Amino acid sequence: MSLFSVLSVGASGMAAQRQRAELLVENLANAETTRTPEGGPYRRKDAVFESATVESPFATVFGAQLEAMGGVAVSEIVVDQSEPERRYQPGHPDADKDGYVAFPKINTAEDMVDLMGASRGYEANVSAISAVKDMIQRSIDLMR
Amino acid sequence: MVDRISGQLERYMDLLSSRQKLVASNIANADTPGYHTRDIDFQREFLQSAGLEPQVSEVDGLRTKNDGNNVSLDREARLLSENALRFNVASQLMRSRLRGVRSAIQEGRGA
Amino acid sequence: MAAPILPISPVTLPEAIRPAGQMKGGASFQDVFASAVQSVEASGQNASASVERFIAGEGEELHTTILATQRAELSLELFLQARNKVVSAYQEIMRMQM
Repeated sequence: MSLFSVLSVGASGMAAQRQRAELLVENLANAETTRTPEGGPYRRKDAVFESATVESPFATVFGAQLEAMGGVAVSEIVVDQSEPERRYQPGHPDADKDGYVAFPKINTAEDMVDLMGASRGYEANVSAISAVKDMIQRSIDLMR
Repeated sequence: MVDRISGQLERYMDLLSSRQKLVASNIANADTPGYHTRDIDFQREFLQSAGLEPQVSEVDGLRTKNDGNNVSLDREARLLSENALRFNVASQLMRSRLRGVRSAIQEGRGA
Repeated sequence: MAAPILPISPVTLPEAIRPAGQMKGGASFQDVFASAVQSVEASGQNASASVERFIAGEGEELHTTILATQRAELSLELFLQARNKVVSAYQEIMRMQM
């Protein structure tokens, strides 16, 4: 794997972290959403990361140890299937006959910390791409 | 033309390059469940094997998170900078050697 | 007082001048030249192969290719310089009055 395909590895990291961040933002925005088109309250979404080989348009050979599983991808988006949180709010428009309202099971603080993690991960991938780009440029400079 | 020092410098650059690829993979997989940090034994590869592909292995002594991932972004960020700087140094040293030979050729022309 | 006259030593002729090609125990100039050409050829071929591998995406590192081409280039230039020197030295000798 030439240094060039490492740029694809970094890009895959950026894409995965970005997706993760988007889902976290969606969770946070819908922390109080009691009504959805599918019925019921908003259900928390989570991105599952998985190692992935990275496609590079210029490379033909894979298989060396360094190649295997270099990149990352979101393999699936998991929707929380557990029972929603029930709060007693009889005046609420979505209250059931007992006066309980089903609220999303979202730990706002936790998701905000996760979001910071996603942001840090994203930045780290940006740094990796930048460092590799610099190394490629240094190689080119050998000709001057 | 392939004198010993320039051969060494090239080998150094090869290994730094390999190492940086692994760092990038580790960073991309910093949140992948079950992923283990990978690296090469730089010193051993440089001193002992003149071969092509370095041996990739998992790193010991890292803290494993609940999901089985043991990537430390601090470690990877530090290695990222270090590898890049060393590569920079090696390439500059190489350039200066190449320039030296080129100068010798130019001098020869004038004499 | 002058020193006693020493007997005249017999005149020894210098050894016949051998052809410049054969040096004792060493390679002939021709051999050295031929091996230098081969070396330049080899580094050129190595560079070309490296370039081919790089553009075919076969995992050749950029710095490896660049160094191979630089070395081939310098190798050739050095060779040409050396050759020019040899040619001008030869011409100078030919111009000498014997």
